[in-house]
Amino acid sequence: MLQFVAKRLVSAFLTLLLVSVLTFSLAHLAGDPAIAVAGKEASAEDIARIRAYYGFDRPIVVQYLAWCGRAVVGDFGMSYHYQQPVSDMLATRLPITLSLGVASLVFALVLSLPLGVVAAIRRGSVIDRFCLFLAVVGQAMPTFWLALLMIVFFSLTLQWLPVSGNSSWQNFVMPTIALGYFAAPALMRLTRAGMIDALESDYIRTAWAKGLRPFSVLFKHALRNVMIPIVSVSAVQLGAMLAGSIVVEQIFALQGIGWLGYDATLRSDLPVVQAITLIIAAFYVLLTLAADLINAALDPRIRIA
Amino acid sequence: MSDNASTNPNTGGAVAARRFASRAARNTSALAGGAVLLVVLFVALAAPLLAPHDPYAHDLSRRLLPPIFYPGHDPSHLLGTDGFGRDYLSRLIYGARISLLIGVSVMLISGLIGTVLGLVAGYFGGRIDQAVMFVINTRLALPVFLVAMAVVVVLGASLWGTIITLGLFLWDRFAVVVRSATQQIVSQDYVTAAKSIGCSHGTILVHEILPNVMNAVVVVGTIEMAYAILLEAALSFLGFGVQEPTASWGLMLAQARQYLFFDAWLLYIPGAALFLVVLCINLFGDGLRDLLGLGEDA
Repeated sequence: MLQFVAKRLVSAFLTLLLVSVLTFSLAHLAGDPAIAVAGKEASAEDIARIRAYYGFDRPIVVQYLAWCGRAVVGDFGMSYHYQQPVSDMLATRLPITLSLGVASLVFALVLSLPLGVVAAIRRGSVIDRFCLFLAVVGQAMPTFWLALLMIVFFSLTLQWLPVSGNSSWQNFVMPTIALGYFAAPALMRLTRAGMIDALESDYIRTAWAKGLRPFSVLFKHALRNVMIPIVSVSAVQLGAMLAGSIVVEQIFALQGIGWLGYDATLRSDLPVVQAITLIIAAFYVLLTLAADLINAALDPRIRIA
Repeated sequence: MSDNASTNPNTGGAVAARRFASRAARNTSALAGGAVLLVVLFVALAAPLLAPHDPYAHDLSRRLLPPIFYPGHDPSHLLGTDGFGRDYLSRLIYGARISLLIGVSVMLISGLIGTVLGLVAGYFGGRIDQAVMFVINTRLALPVFLVAMAVVVVLGASLWGTIITLGLFLWDRFAVVVRSATQQIVSQDYVTAAKSIGCSHGTILVHEILPNVMNAVVVVGTIEMAYAILLEAALSFLGFGVQEPTASWGLMLAQARQYLFFDAWLLYIPGAALFLVVLCINLFGDGLRDLLGLGEDA
C-alpha cells in the first residue's frame, strides 16, 4: 500500500510540474508580456521600465523558477489589469466555483444513481428505455443552450428564478443543473452496467439464496461493487466541472474562477490565466489521486497490481 | 458479454454475417442517426445551391422577421431573419458547413496524434509506455476550455485556429483506447509470428496491429467529432472561436442572447440544429460500437 501511495504521489507531482512548464510557456508564447502590461501605445521607455519592474529581462529559466517558487507558497503575482494580488482574487472567487462544482456533482449523482439502479433491476422495461433515452439526449445537449433555454423559461417566462448574480441560493439552481446534467449520462450508464454485472454474479445469487432482504442485496452487496468506477468517474467529472464552469459562469454572471478566467483571457491578464490553469490542474490531479487512493482502500486488488 | 461468432468453431462466416445484419436492423436509432447525418452532410456540401438567400447580406429594413411557425412571418424567409436582417435559414445551412468541417478536421488531427501515441505505448510498453501515460495524464489535467481560449488568443481567433487548437487537445481518448487495444493484440500469435520472421516494428505496427485497432479508432472518432462540434460552438459563443460574419451555430446563439426576451426563437433554431447533429453522431457511434462488438469503454 505504501509503495502504491508513493508511486501515485510521484506521478501526480511530475504531472503538475509539466503542467506548470506548459502554462508558463503559453504565457510567453503570447508575445512580449511587457507590451501586454503597458498597452500598445506605450513608449519604449515605459516598456523598458515595466520589463525591469516585473523582471521580464531575466533569463526565461530564472523567471520560471521564480514564478514556480512563489506559486508553491500561493503567491501568483499581481494581476496586470486589476493591479491586485492574484491570490486575493482567487480566494474570493474559488468558493463560488467550488460550491457550484460540488452541487453539480451531487445533482448528477442524485439523478444518475437511482435511475441506473432501477434501469438495471428492470432491464428492458419502460423505465430502462426512458433512462437510456435521457442519457442519449443529455449527452447531445449543448450546455450553454440548455442554460439559455432555462433562462427563457424559468426566469423570463415563469419568473421563478433570477437571471444572474450570486447573492442567494436561487442563483445557483440553474447553473447547477446546467453544469451537472452533462455528467449524469456517463454516471448512469456506469451504474446500470455495473449493477447488471453484479446482479448476474455468483455472490449475489448466494445473497438471494441466503434469504437476505432485497434492500440489503441491492444496496449493501451489489451497489458496493459499482462504487469503484463511480468514485473514479466522479472525481474526473468534478475536475471537468471546475474546468468547464467557464461557460456557465459567464452566462449566469456567477463570478467564480471560471468567470475570472474568461475575463482575464479577454484582457490578456496572463498572471490570472496562469494561476487559474494551474489551480484547476492541481484540483484535477488531487481529485484523481484521491479517487485512486479511495479505490485502493475499497479494493485490495488495485494496490497490489 | 457479447459472444463472438468467429471464435466458435461450429459457426461459419455466414452465421456471423447474418448476426451482423440482424444487429444492424435492430439498431434503428443508429440507422436513423446515420440517415440524418447524411442529409446534413448533403445540405452542408450543397449549401450555395440550397440556401435561399445570401447568408451575409444585411437588410436592416427586414430585421428580426419571425419564422414560419410564428404569426407575421415573411414567406421568403422560412426561418425569419436575424438582428442584421440576414436570412436565418441560409445562415443555418452555412453553419452546418462550419460544424461538420470542425468536427471532421479535429477528429482527423486528434485521431492521428492519439492513434500514434496509443500504438507506440501499447506496442513497446515499458518506459515508452510510462512516458506516454505521463503525457496523457498531463493533457487530462489541463483545463481544455480555458487553455483553448488562451491558445486561440495567441494564434488569433479564426476557423483554422480553432480547428488546430482543438485538434491538439482532443487526442486523449484515442490514445487511451488504442493503447489498451494494442496491449491485447501484441501477445497474439500472429504478432509473434511476424516478429519471428523478422518484420520491422514499423511493419508490424502498420500491417498487423493498426488494422485491428481501427474499429475502436472509428468509434472513438464519432465521440470526439461530437465533442469537437460542441466545443467549437461554445468557444464561438464566447467569442473565442469562429468570428463574424461567418455563420457558425455557436456564434448565432451568441447573437441570439440579446433578443432572449422578445425573440427567443432566434435561440431555439441554431441550438436545435446543434443538438440534432450531435445527437445523430452519438446515435450513429453507439450503433457502430454495437455493430463492431466493442465494449462500453471504446
